[in-house]
Amino acid sequence: MAAPLLHLSGVGKDYAKLESNAGRIGLVVDLLLGRGVTRAFRALDDVSFDLNRGESLGIVGENGAGKSTLLKIVAGVITPTRGSVDVRGRVGALLELGSGFHPEYSGLANIDLAAALLGLSPAEIASKRDEIVAFADIGEHIHDPIKHYSSGMVVRLGFAVATALEPDILITDEVLAVGDESFQKKCVAWMENYLANGGTLLLCSHSMYHVQKLCRNALWLRNGRTVRYGPAAEIAQAYLAYHEEKSAGAKQPIAAPRATAEGYYAIQSLVLDPEERVAAGGALTVRGEVFSPDDRVPVVLVGLVRADGTPVYGVATDMDGVAPVRIRAQRFAFSLTFPALPLLPGKYSARAHALDPEGVRLFDNVEKAFVVEGATRELGLVRIGHGWNGGSS
Amino acid sequence: MASIPRPGTSGGPASAVQSTLGRHRALFINFFRRELFSRYLGSVSGFAWAFLHPLALLAVYHFVFTTVFRAGQMNGKSFLLFVAVALWPWLATQEALQRGTVSIGGYAGLIRKVAFPHELVVYASVGATLVLQFAGYIAVLVVLALFGEPVRFQGLPLAILLWVVLAVGVTGIALALSSLQVFIRDIEHILLPVLMILMYLTPILYPLSLVPDNMRPWVAANPFGYLVGRLRDALLEGQLAPTWGDGVAVLVAAALFAAGRWVFLRLSPHFEDFV
Repeated sequence: MAAPLLHLSGVGKDYAKLESNAGRIGLVVDLLLGRGVTRAFRALDDVSFDLNRGESLGIVGENGAGKSTLLKIVAGVITPTRGSVDVRGRVGALLELGSGFHPEYSGLANIDLAAALLGLSPAEIASKRDEIVAFADIGEHIHDPIKHYSSGMVVRLGFAVATALEPDILITDEVLAVGDESFQKKCVAWMENYLANGGTLLLCSHSMYHVQKLCRNALWLRNGRTVRYGPAAEIAQAYLAYHEEKSAGAKQPIAAPRATAEGYYAIQSLVLDPEERVAAGGALTVRGEVFSPDDRVPVVLVGLVRADGTPVYGVATDMDGVAPVRIRAQRFAFSLTFPALPLLPGKYSARAHALDPEGVRLFDNVEKAFVVEGATRELGLVRIGHGWNGGSS
Repeated sequence: MASIPRPGTSGGPASAVQSTLGRHRALFINFFRRELFSRYLGSVSGFAWAFLHPLALLAVYHFVFTTVFRAGQMNGKSFLLFVAVALWPWLATQEALQRGTVSIGGYAGLIRKVAFPHELVVYASVGATLVLQFAGYIAVLVVLALFGEPVRFQGLPLAILLWVVLAVGVTGIALALSSLQVFIRDIEHILLPVLMILMYLTPILYPLSLVPDNMRPWVAANPFGYLVGRLRDALLEGQLAPTWGDGVAVLVAAALFAAGRWVFLRLSPHFEDFV
């Protein structure tokens, strides 16, 4: 195996925290004396990974997690405070397309500038120019100053410049959403061709769909630190589950009265089988016991919800015309099996509710979390039976 | 596969600058043209201003010194010629330092987004200013000669050499000031009065020989004053041969450059956060 295209080891970046102008002078003195930034905010800490040719990497994380800082370090825009970065190849950045352009320059002059910034010689620049102009396809406007361009034109030129220079590593975010319909098609075609020819992506995206589709591995950052690094599908699921839990926590669902007191129908126990981890498409059994204060047969409602509280499916004993089994005085048992659980991989909970015998008043609510495991790129909550019509590819 | 160039890598001074400029020649030329054209191309008459401006200044000085003050001879030369030979290098220095100091700010967009050696910005800014000012200097000398002033053009090779020494030293100071300016915005505002004071402390409007004996060593220690004196030797007296003092001037300029670049390279990795 050849040396990796990109090797990061223990990379960290501190930004100076400044409260006053005196702090600025102090900072300059510190920097000149080689002491580094003393009052610092750690934007990135101890990030390590290898990126091999043709193995794209996705970077996921919330805003402020350090994704941009990491990309800037790889692009060489900033030098890391700690750790080392080895880049063996040309890095192209498709971030904020057109940000390096000079507004007063014409499109052509900006092509020259962008190429020069990438370290190309004047001869190389000249040989690429026609190709870039053709790809951008903005006609005579190429001779006008950039400041008169529409934002779409700037983006087209930016994409054309960044891609014509054949980067070994392409840093990008939500790439496929630039320009109009026909230009997007061109971009997608270019990207597919680039990846097919062994191009390597460093994709920073909030779209788990793109991360799973385009990347082999993914890196999850939070507060500048690596949370997890691994196969893209695994990271994407863990990341989504984290968000579901977070938004569920934020909602603070109104707790049903925790009714073990007399006079209330209550779930006494809830057991899942298998206990915590279910294979996608596998069987799941939910069983438990209900307390009935007046020894009448209660109604039990069992539901499956996603970790963020979104209901997926619910069914009650009275709907199916069954009843919990009396095991002794005031105690009833229920058991429900989902033989082929169609849930897609992720975190879920099973909920059991105790209702009065009329199935009207809901008294109790007990919840047990479980994880559906598996690797898939399907989207959503459940697998819905389907079949593609028409010929095979 | 070569690894991509990264800014802020330090090395031996002269060779490092050479390799930085060599690898990024196209970029330097691009920046240099940007600096050159941004100054004059915005106006209709373009480069004509580069010559019209110094000539207009010359006319004003002629009016003030010769017509109003009736300043006659200075060291056997007309006062106008005596001042002109020294004043333009000073104006060049002043403009180069002022533009150089704020140059990094003009490239803030690029510095935040793209990797390139930030020092190129200062070289381009200072270089463009000095090239234009040198062109104006030559124009002024030619016009003076046409009006019958005894300009000794045989001293021009030495004069050019002195300008190169000046450029090296000024670039060094500009490197330090420009990087400090990114963090401490007051530099730009302090610079103007400081330059004003330095101008009067330098033997530009007067010869060193008129300075009282007890103060003369202090005034003579000013490296810029030394260069000005040597320019007068070259262009007014027609001196050709460099002296040992010129060797010292070269060393001083090189030291200024090395020190300025050292400061710059210490600070430039942190520009991205402050520009």
